[in-house]
Amino acid sequence: MPTLKLYVGIWLGLIAIVAIETVLAFSHLSTSALIASLLLLAIVEAGVALRYFMHLKYEPPALFWTLIPAIVFALLMMNQVWPDARRLVSLHFP
Amino acid sequence: MMLEPSPIGAVPTKKFVMWLFIIADAATFGAILFGYGYLRVGSLNWTRPFAFSPSIINALVMTVVLLTSSLTMLIAVSAARDGRKSDAVRWLGATILLGVVFAVLHLREWASLIGEGWSLSANPMGGSTLVGATFFGITGLHLLHVVSGVIAIGVITIGFNRGRWDASYVETTGLYWHFVDLVWMFVFPLVYLLNAHA
Repeated sequence: MPTLKLYVGIWLGLIAIVAIETVLAFSHLSTSALIASLLLLAIVEAGVALRYFMHLKYEPPALFWTLIPAIVFALLMMNQVWPDARRLVSLHFP
Repeated sequence: MMLEPSPIGAVPTKKFVMWLFIIADAATFGAILFGYGYLRVGSLNWTRPFAFSPSIINALVMTVVLLTSSLTMLIAVSAARDGRKSDAVRWLGATILLGVVFAVLHLREWASLIGEGWSLSANPMGGSTLVGATFFGITGLHLLHVVSGVIAIGVITIGFNRGRWDASYVETTGLYWHFVDLVWMFVFPLVYLLNAHA
């Protein structure tokens, strides 16, 4: 199992990622670049939290394969909303 | 007493059930965040209400508080596993305290926004009213999870301290608490930072 030193290191790493996210938010990136970088950093944070804080790294692999691909698939399927969201803009009354 | 074997080998049933809840809840938060994205992309007059000071600074403090509460929860779980009961109870108490601080900071922020005229159906900046609806909806659901977690940790702490429940209950509750933290890792950048203005 992980040591306290590792936990503290991960905690500091997560705080550093939050700081990077905040700097990016105020660094005048284009909206799409900002969304992509914030999402990427949030996914990295979530991955670290799942592996170490929630101990998925130390659980039997069957637990990971039973749960995580299913939720990733469900979340990926939700991406079907974007074409309709963009269509909404053109449907506004003048 | 006969216990039903876990469906996932060495993973206790209690923990597996918590994981199933977490996956279902992740789908709920995922759907809500996608709904927020859908409304935002589909709105012509979206407004960004958060200035760096005080809104983003307050959200940063809340984020650090929640991340720290995950660390104290990890230490509590380790202590409970090692049989150091008083240490575990102390660190669980610290986790509860940090959860309460997070909730108080959140409610203070809400009170300030409501004071400025924000609500589920009002936008004092004159843009889309969906800004307030999505903000209060998403952060409200997360706050509900935080408050529920604080209550659950309190109940588990009392039961563990009295010897009624063992370390596995602390660990299972810890899983939930880390999930609440994990959700915030998406809420903070997507709801706060993407709605910040210079």
